[in-house]
Amino acid sequence: MRCSSISPASKPNCRLWLICVLSIWALNADAKIVLTVPHEVSLSPNTHTQQLSMSWLGGDAATFDVIILRTEFNETVFYDTVSATVNPMSGRHQWNWTSVEPLECTSLSIKIRSRDGQTTSEWSNTEILQGKDVPSEINFQMYPQDRIVPVGTNTTFCCIVEEGTEFAGMNYSSTVMKVKRLSRRTYASTVVNQKASGRTGTNVVCSSKYKQSLTGAVVFVGYPPQPTDFVCETYDLVSAVCRWKEGRNTYLHGKRVTRYSVNKRDCPKEGSNKCSFSQWDGNWTLVAVNPLGHSSLTDSAEISHRVCPVAPVDLGAVVHAWDATVMWKWTYKYSLPLVCQVELTNSGYNTKLIFTGVGLQSVVLSNLLPYEDYDLQVRCGAQKNFWKWGNWSDVFTFRTKSSAPDAPDVWMWMNRDNTGLVVWKPLTRLQSHGLIKRYKVTLCDPKEEQTCIKSLPPGTCSVPVNLTQLASFRSDNKVVATVTAENDAGVSQPAIIRLHLTDVEPPTLSRAVYTDNSFPLVWQHQANVTCSYVVEWHDATCSHDCHVEWIKVAAGSTNITVESDNFQPGVRYNFSLYSCPYDSPQKKQCWQGYMQELTPSRPVPLSVTQEGSSVVLTWGEIPLVDRRGFLLGYNVYSNNGFKLTLLANLSDPGARKFKVQGLSASSYKFTVKAYTSAGEDTGSTVSIMLERNIYQLILEMLLSLGGISIFLIIVTIICYKKRKWVKKAFYPDIPEPKLPGDWSRTQGPLNVKPSHHSLVHIVERPDQDSKEALVVIPEQDEDDDGYGIGDEPVDTDEPHSLRYYNHVVDERPIRPRFPDSSASSSSSMDSAHTDVTYTGIQTSGTSLVFQLDPQGSSEGHHPQVDQGVHCGAGGDYQPQMHPMASNIDTSLASPDPFLESQASNCGGYKPQNSWHLDSPTEACERSSLAPSLGSPTSVASTQFLLPDGEECGEEKRQLSSASTWFTNLLSSTKP
Amino acid sequence: MAGRRTRSMNGASLDSVRTSAARTAAIAAQLQQECSILLELYRKREGFSADVADGRLVSVPPSSSQLETRDKLWRLHSALLQCYSLLERAIAKEEVELGGQEEGEYEKQRRTVKDRLSFLLISTGELLKAADSTTVLTPSLEGLELDGPTTVFELKLWVYRIFKEVDHWTKTAISTLQELLSGVAKARPRTMRFRSTRNTRR
Repeated sequence: MRCSSISPASKPNCRLWLICVLSIWALNADAKIVLTVPHEVSLSPNTHTQQLSMSWLGGDAATFDVIILRTEFNETVFYDTVSATVNPMSGRHQWNWTSVEPLECTSLSIKIRSRDGQTTSEWSNTEILQGKDVPSEINFQMYPQDRIVPVGTNTTFCCIVEEGTEFAGMNYSSTVMKVKRLSRRTYASTVVNQKASGRTGTNVVCSSKYKQSLTGAVVFVGYPPQPTDFVCETYDLVSAVCRWKEGRNTYLHGKRVTRYSVNKRDCPKEGSNKCSFSQWDGNWTLVAVNPLGHSSLTDSAEISHRVCPVAPVDLGAVVHAWDATVMWKWTYKYSLPLVCQVELTNSGYNTKLIFTGVGLQSVVLSNLLPYEDYDLQVRCGAQKNFWKWGNWSDVFTFRTKSSAPDAPDVWMWMNRDNTGLVVWKPLTRLQSHGLIKRYKVTLCDPKEEQTCIKSLPPGTCSVPVNLTQLASFRSDNKVVATVTAENDAGVSQPAIIRLHLTDVEPPTLSRAVYTDNSFPLVWQHQANVTCSYVVEWHDATCSHDCHVEWIKVAAGSTNITVESDNFQPGVRYNFSLYSCPYDSPQKKQCWQGYMQELTPSRPVPLSVTQEGSSVVLTWGEIPLVDRRGFLLGYNVYSNNGFKLTLLANLSDPGARKFKVQGLSASSYKFTVKAYTSAGEDTGSTVSIMLERNIYQLILEMLLSLGGISIFLIIVTIICYKKRKWVKKAFYPDIPEPKLPGDWSRTQGPLNVKPSHHSLVHIVERPDQDSKEALVVIPEQDEDDDGYGIGDEPVDTDEPHSLRYYNHVVDERPIRPRFPDSSASSSSSMDSAHTDVTYTGIQTSGTSLVFQLDPQGSSEGHHPQVDQGVHCGAGGDYQPQMHPMASNIDTSLASPDPFLESQASNCGGYKPQNSWHLDSPTEACERSSLAPSLGSPTSVASTQFLLPDGEECGEEKRQLSSASTWFTNLLSSTKP
Repeated sequence: MAGRRTRSMNGASLDSVRTSAARTAAIAAQLQQECSILLELYRKREGFSADVADGRLVSVPPSSSQLETRDKLWRLHSALLQCYSLLERAIAKEEVELGGQEEGEYEKQRRTVKDRLSFLLISTGELLKAADSTTVLTPSLEGLELDGPTTVFELKLWVYRIFKEVDHWTKTAISTLQELLSGVAKARPRTMRFRSTRNTRR
């Protein structure tokens, strides 16, 4: 570019410059040729470190290009320019390469060339580092074997499968690994951030297909050693023992375990963590080594500052009752001041005592208790420059000697008959000072100068006394009891008590409340009392030779908490405070209390009496032993057998009576339950039958009868006074029939005897059972077919009907309203042709009731004989049936009171509707009235057979049998 | 294999053989149970499956139905002796390689199996004596690979194989001893008949 800008005159200069550049390029070309090609390349692999050391001869170049390839797949593993060091002796260049994969995995090809800047030589000849996957190595292999690596590192494993098999997979412990193929037979996988392995290492397993064979390797992952607390000390003021702690777990064991040395002297293997030396050396160095690294610790000290005496041996003692001298020996002679600790254990309690002295070998233990077992241990340390306590000696046991026992704690129980008990508390182990052999009780009678001594075995704690036999008691109540205890070592001091009975009851009886497992008792300070107190308690229900407990209280005290294992729930205890108990006992105060109140165990004894319409419940007292608590009152219940109803809560525990008032004559039950703070008892129940007063009953009956009589009289009077209205209302005059012609009525009685031409034929319905239906047929000549009244060949029931018919006709003359019978008439009183048909066919008495069969009525106009026997069987009255339809259709209405009565007798009839006592005429005129009448039945009555019956025939059907009956009743009274 | 000899049992030793065989069978049954536990513990610790490390380490003459009872016993005794030697060696190598200071469940079970195998060996030895009333020739351990493997993984497989060998030969012991017991039971009536006949002749 620059040449193109210059003038043609300057062309020679440009050419010169070009020549210069070419000359320099030619010189550089000559230099490239000068770089020596590396030769005599030598490979030196370290399979453990996976390091390949290569050396070569290669001229003066300082840098070299190194290329490493996997031979089989010709894959580049490494290609870079490296600086090689030159061995001055051999003049060989040397460079080390560390492989990620074990060097055995596959064959590697290495080439090197010299480099000088951008100038490189030719590549050297390829050197091959043979792997273990060459055909000559046919075995199934894995690398690396038994590798030990720190926690957190990455390790690449390779597996070389057998010839002729196929790779199946690799597992690191139980984890399947991702693999990469390095060669025809080699597969590799890298485990990253490895965790610490177990005691036997981590297995890496490679398996192949087909043959089901496997190979593997074990890798140990752990930590380098890190010991702590390295100190050296002396036990004998001559030798030294150095100790340390392992510190962090290395996770390496067996061959890989950490090895220790102190001052370059090997120490015992695993576990002991100590090293002994015969002489004290002021400076110590601990070195810990394992395959992953090493660590060192130092310690330096003067021997006098590191004295740790050994445990004392051969302990012995000179023992007395209250003290002992303990001696021991030393394994080494200690001529320095020592401080020793004595641990004394008695009955689970231990005490540590400190003693000092030069080379201490014995100590005196005081304040021991007689006849006690002691365990003792001793350990010592240097008093000056104290380093640490030495080891405890073996336990030494001794028992102190016996001593005279303590005086027993004595009290008394006096009965009202001047007998009683002298009681004392059994001596405890600490009071006995040895095995108690006996107790001695002495009763002194100063008047007679007699002494009565009783010797009692060790288990005894009371003796009965009878003061009435003692002269001193009879005169001035001065009888004294003395109790002593005796063991091997001697006799105790005497415990003296004056046997005295105080009859004076204290002014107050307070309640003692059990709190925090004790009864706290408080009393007023009494200035006149200068001696001590005793608080005594016993079961309140006991009165003779009671088991009494007591506790001494110091003079001037005003309270005490009473505890006892013998307190029982539900038991009342009496507490008494005595002043000057051993000289002139005087009862000062009393309390009563329960450890725990319970419900009474027994109900009150209950009785009941009647006082007029009241009941008086009275009950007795529950015995003290059964109260089991302070009674708070009584609950009175009314008891109906299932439920208690509270009548009264009597909060007065002294209540013994309760009156229940205003009761009527009946049976009653009452329950009374006493209750404490714990609740009610089970309760006592009494029952009583309250009886009514006989005079009162008679009076009530008379009053009732009088009332009824007055009522009837009033009704009678009203009916008499209003008889016209009654007649009009219940039995109005029947209007005359309106006849088309001149129908003079005959006033004489109607001969209702049926003529030979007036026939009522009762025949069987052709389509029904002969016994179930009777049919009224038109009159016919009796000779026509032989169906006469007297000789009808019908059921045996039928003649009864006919006979009844005749009977009715005889007694009840019926006036025919329609002299001109129609063709449909079924019966005629005086002519063979009449419009009136009488169907009052009845059975006599109770046998039959005629009713219309609804079916029959719907089919024709033939009344049927109902099953009268049904009535006797239970009454089949059916008020909802309206059987009159057929009856009215046949223009037949024959009311009969027996029907009603029969129905009633059957038990089935009950009037269903209100009915009007209006005349049929009125009823006919008011079409709406028909339903209001009761259910009519076919009765033998003429009263409602009206001329215009056809118009109100429907209404007639609605007449009830009751109205019919009433009509008949009025009719019969008609003039 | 040295000291091999064949001889039938005589009738006089039948009772002692029966007693000894029953006791030996009981020991073998106990060992078999303990060996199963040991194998299970080992599999669990090393993550090996049951089919790993098959192949025999113990070398004995092949079994045959033609062999007499005493030869079978001798073969069994020889195999158990080899098992014991291998087990001792395996334990020692394991302790050196992997440490043996701490005794866990596996180590206890391994010791139990070793002790029980020792009892079984003694018992089979006594059985051999009772069967023939002659001194039992000690089977040779020549040729037994007691050195074991060089890598830890191979050591683990080797130990596993040894445990499996112990298990296998314990089972074999049970079956052989049951066979022996049934043989004794069959032989006893014949002996009794023989004695009874001889007494009658007297």
